[in-house]
Amino acid sequence: MKTLTIAAKDLKHIFQSGFSLVMMFGAPLLITGLLAFAFGGRTSGTDTFNLPVTRVQVVNLDQPAGADPGFAAGKLLVAVLQDPSLSDLLAVTLAADEASARTAVDEQRAGVAIIIPPDFTAAATSPDRGAAVVIYRDPTLTIGPGIVTDLVRHVIDGFSGAKIAGQVTAEGLSAAGAEADQALKDNIIRAYTAWLQSDEHGAEGAAVPRLAVVAPTGAAQPKSQGAAPIGPIMAGMLVFFVFFMGGNGAESIIREAEQGTLARLSSTPTPLAAMLGGKFIGVMVSLGLQVAVLLLASILLFGIQWGQAATVMLVSLGLIVASAGFGVMLMSLITSSRQTGPVLGGVMTLTGMLGGLFTTTIPNIPAGFDRVALLTPQGWALQGWKLALSGAGVGETLVPVVVMLVMGSAFLAVGVALFRRRFA
Amino acid sequence: MPDGVAIRAQDLQKQFRAVSAVRGVSFEVRAGEIFSLLGPNGAGKSTTIAMLSCLLQPTQGDASVCGHSIRQSPQRVKACLGVVPQDIALYLDLSARENLEFWGKMYGLRGATLRQRVAEVLAIIGLTERQKDKVGTFSGGMQRRVNIGAALLHRPDVIIMDEPTVGIDPQSRRHILDNVKELNRQGMTVLYTTHYMEEAQELSHQIAIMDQGKIIVCGTHAELIRLVGERTRLDLTLHSEDDALVACWRSIAGVHSLSADHGRLTLLVDDSNLVLPRLFETAAQVGVRITSVTIEEPNLEAVFLHLTGKALRDAL
Ligand SMILES: Nc1ncnc2c1ncn2[C@@H]1O[C@H](COP(=O)(O)OP(=O)(O)OP(=O)(O)O)[C@@H](O)[C@H]1O
Ligand SMILES: [Mg+2]
Repeated sequence: MKTLTIAAKDLKHIFQSGFSLVMMFGAPLLITGLLAFAFGGRTSGTDTFNLPVTRVQVVNLDQPAGADPGFAAGKLLVAVLQDPSLSDLLAVTLAADEASARTAVDEQRAGVAIIIPPDFTAAATSPDRGAAVVIYRDPTLTIGPGIVTDLVRHVIDGFSGAKIAGQVTAEGLSAAGAEADQALKDNIIRAYTAWLQSDEHGAEGAAVPRLAVVAPTGAAQPKSQGAAPIGPIMAGMLVFFVFFMGGNGAESIIREAEQGTLARLSSTPTPLAAMLGGKFIGVMVSLGLQVAVLLLASILLFGIQWGQAATVMLVSLGLIVASAGFGVMLMSLITSSRQTGPVLGGVMTLTGMLGGLFTTTIPNIPAGFDRVALLTPQGWALQGWKLALSGAGVGETLVPVVVMLVMGSAFLAVGVALFRRRFA
Repeated sequence: MPDGVAIRAQDLQKQFRAVSAVRGVSFEVRAGEIFSLLGPNGAGKSTTIAMLSCLLQPTQGDASVCGHSIRQSPQRVKACLGVVPQDIALYLDLSARENLEFWGKMYGLRGATLRQRVAEVLAIIGLTERQKDKVGTFSGGMQRRVNIGAALLHRPDVIIMDEPTVGIDPQSRRHILDNVKELNRQGMTVLYTTHYMEEAQELSHQIAIMDQGKIIVCGTHAELIRLVGERTRLDLTLHSEDDALVACWRSIAGVHSLSADHGRLTLLVDDSNLVLPRLFETAAQVGVRITSVTIEEPNLEAVFLHLTGKALRDAL
């Protein structure tokens, strides 16, 4: 009973404080919103990022010649530009000649004109020839032509890669004593280009992050995938601010010690266990409310699909226990409330950073980073949420959840032991 | 309470690393009594109280409160004791009422009993009107009163108050002193610490003077005064000096000395209550007006000075 009275009083304190409310709800939602906007995440699975469609005039003067008329680099480039996955972004029209394409741009009937030179295929396939694709753009537009330029450069890079691959193979062969004839080189180049091409047009892959530099990721991705990064961003913020509030809530022990109410509690017939228990329950309940509100708000605001209900509940429980335990332990190491601000901010930011909470927008993080992340409770929490987001079942999330529960309990045990030594 | 003793301290000692805060303190507070611990800053009053209220383990010695040992049954001691800490220990972001309700619950009160006691205590501390205001918005004196109120809710047999009037306005101080007397009149035993000798003198049945971790003397106010054997000093001014009157006054029983200087007289007397009426009577008979009187009773200040060789006020 006394335990609950203490918990209720602490809850009241937390929910009366403007700072707490901002850190609990305002900051995570706001930062997620800002990051999602900056990285162009789409706000829901159905909404598309809203960029104006760029009208493109393409003049394909490419004249593939030689042994294999089946391969035409110009055609390939046109096909890439006309790909249905880009139809949100580009409206591609084939123009008869260079002059009419340029006129279209001058008269602002098109944003960009692309002129593919006659020797484009030849340049793409033979190691020692070059050719320039001319991009003629409306200077008043920025984003659209930028995207087009990047796309074209990307395709051309692919050819260069193929050329280099051809060269390296030829040199490798001659070093081994065999002589590569031109036909073999051509075949290698063509095979590489075909692979590159299939890679481009596969479900996802190498093309996406490069495009992401200028074009919104969501926009360049096939609609069916719908994995805008907002889910992981929100997960990172959720974990960070729940951990922060875990520490902030546990700070009440220090505060009460300083304002004398803890000593006064000890002068009443209330056992220390009831006091610490009440505080722990207060922290747990406040974190539970925080998680519930943040999940709900992020569903409503960002349309995030958090995954299966049972998984979400289990991961939430793990997160709450881990962050409450971590908070109690952190506060048990602190001697005065003047230290709590810097310690809380510093430790939470550092462990949060190691846990990968702020790098959820970076797609291919090195494996070493992931391993370091799992040294922190935040890393496990984030992993739990990523699994939940990917639709994992309870069984698949059991490992991170159990790790969080064990870590949380261990932290709590250390914290309580230190507090008991200090106050008993 | 066994043998009518509410608190019995036996050779209490407390050592903080290098500091010997309390060095063998023994005393008895009888049930129904107001007992003051009077002493300068750092005398060890708060430390003694912390041991009696089971917040600190004594390094040596023991004490019993309401017949329960502070070492063996601290929970029982806490249940029968109300403690008013020296510094305000309240939740400033909660209202007076919420604070009292919280502390009442910590003493195990619930429901109707709790509500009734909160209302009664609010009336005692004179804050019924302001009960809904946050304690953080209160004046120092009002906060002190809530600080006391929080220790009264469970009707403790014994209340310990650690310097409850420090740094507050005269009105709040008056209110608190009257509260203490009224609570005592209703049967509560009070252990009161202070470094104001006037308070100790006004309130206490028994006074223990503490200095440097030890009780240097203990007794009733009269007993302590007798210890120094000082007399009351009277300073009078006469409208016109009259040699016959001065000679007459010298012969009044209880007057030990008299010096006169141009109408200003200084007398040392046993009891001003007995002497003063005689002075006025005789002055009226010869038609001399007494235009001013100052009475300086022997006080605890003198006792402290006598026993420690230093002034209590200087030691503060
Ligand atoms: N927790 C502690 N650690 C170390 N020394 C302490 C501690 N508490 C008190 N002391 C020391 O013990 C001595 C007695 O302190 P105490 O607070 O009991 O005095 P006091 O009579 O209550 O004084 P005041 O009138 O200032 O409240 C002081 O020298 C003080 O510095
Ligand atoms: Mg003190």
